Amino acid sequence: MAATATRSTGLGDPGRLGPVQRFRRANERLLYGTLGFVLVIVLWELAADLGLYRRSLLSSPSFIWNAAARDFGSGTIWPHLASSGAEYGLGFAAALALGIPLGLLIGMFRRVDHVVSLLLFGIYSTPKAAIAPLIILVAGIGLESKAIFVFLLAFFSVIVSTMAGVHAVAERHRDLARSFGASRWLEFRSVVLPTTVPFLLTGIRIASGRALVGVVVAEELAANQGIGYYIEFYGTFLDTSRVMLGVVILGLFGITSGELVRRLEKRFEVWRPEIH
Amino acid sequence: MDTGFALIARGVHMEYRDRKSDTSLVAIESMDLDVRAGEFVSLLGPSGCGKSTFLKIVNGLLKGTAGEIRLRAAGNGREDAMVFQDAALFPWYSVLDNVAYGLVCAGVPRKQARERAMPLIELVGLAGFADRYPYQLSGGMQQRANLARALAVDSEILLMDEPFASLDAQTREVMQAELLRIWNAAKKTVVFVTHQIDEAIYLSDRVVVMSARPGRILADIRIDLPRPRALDVKRRAEFTGYADQIWKLLTTHGVSVAAPTDAT
Repeated sequence: MAATATRSTGLGDPGRLGPVQRFRRANERLLYGTLGFVLVIVLWELAADLGLYRRSLLSSPSFIWNAAARDFGSGTIWPHLASSGAEYGLGFAAALALGIPLGLLIGMFRRVDHVVSLLLFGIYSTPKAAIAPLIILVAGIGLESKAIFVFLLAFFSVIVSTMAGVHAVAERHRDLARSFGASRWLEFRSVVLPTTVPFLLTGIRIASGRALVGVVVAEELAANQGIGYYIEFYGTFLDTSRVMLGVVILGLFGITSGELVRRLEKRFEVWRPEIH
Repeated sequence: MDTGFALIARGVHMEYRDRKSDTSLVAIESMDLDVRAGEFVSLLGPSGCGKSTFLKIVNGLLKGTAGEIRLRAAGNGREDAMVFQDAALFPWYSVLDNVAYGLVCAGVPRKQARERAMPLIELVGLAGFADRYPYQLSGGMQQRANLARALAVDSEILLMDEPFASLDAQTREVMQAELLRIWNAAKKTVVFVTHQIDEAIYLSDRVVVMSARPGRILADIRIDLPRPRALDVKRRAEFTGYADQIWKLLTTHGVSVAAPTDAT
């Protein structure tokens, strides 16, 4: 007697989802991402309560929360956030404002590209922390030196990725534009720019992370304000809860900016199937 | 220029210099070709016979070493439009914007270009797909969009560079029949490059057979099959007669076409 197996192959009609299910589909990533955080926080707290490590060294979620309540409540943390924000914003904005147009321009001209690209890549790969003391020497310990340092870290990611985007332009797309007699400007808008955008956005995402490193490194070296200074300052007093609070703030900022760029990528690349 | 001709090519010659061996390679050897307005002419030959190169020289994408090309301009000034081998659609444009692209290149405002592109999208059988992106289309549909884009600029001549080469056999036959239907509706002159004998015969008024290294014309064969042609014309005796004639021509000139040939 032959055995038969029946397999259900239907997934159900995707058009008939309830509102809860639809919300879950749309925000699946966010929901599960939050779950990950909650899991780590619970495990961390549990480990602290069970005495698996010394709380004075690594703090714990509840202690960090208390520190946050204290410093946000009294308002003493705001000036630090404000000055770090200004350094980051200024340096990063300058990196974008210079990096994108320069990258596009250099990428468009082969010989200029040859002259500059090796040089740029050399500077890009050199650890910028090595020249931080020099920048402080020249620009002081105020906003300027930090913004310059942030700029240096972000700028090369932006320009190198923009150039890579221009290099990635497909010969057949260029041929097509030329075959139909597109002007140079139209060729730029319809071929070079759309090819470059994905590379550029990746560059921006990397740059936003590096810019954050720039803020912290510069402030830990020499500063009297800022979140890096805050971490450094309380570190010397072994106030690990405040140190961790600073780290958590940086982490949250990193996640937010990364998520913002991801949204941008999605919006600009409806034509790329793998993003959806 | 005689108004009866859409394309007159004289002494088109293409030579590449190989830097390593310092020898020159003749891709096309002094080629003459006349195509009448409204005619469908295929350039048939093995890879390396310079047929695609010739098309690119006509289009102006490449400069030949020597020779002269004369093209008749259509009413709006555009002489020729290219249908590329790999559809070469912009993945970041919708079908509509891809089809409108040639018009935008010609300076037509985008909105107007889109309006003028719409009927051609329908003509090639892509109605309802105007808002899709290329990745959402099958290979055959991409080639339809490719064709519509070239038709949209309303040029005198369509230059088609093996447009069906990457399609599967069945889709290719469907597209061949579709091309004849569209050609009949659009009334264009077509220069069609292919390496497939049956495709060339089925589509063309004339098949220009070429040999490789150096690329030159072996024969210019008039195809006297009644139009409109349904696909079953491929099984008629005259059709297979043409196929045999071209096959012999290619094999006696030492060109291997798919199957191995007897060395004599």
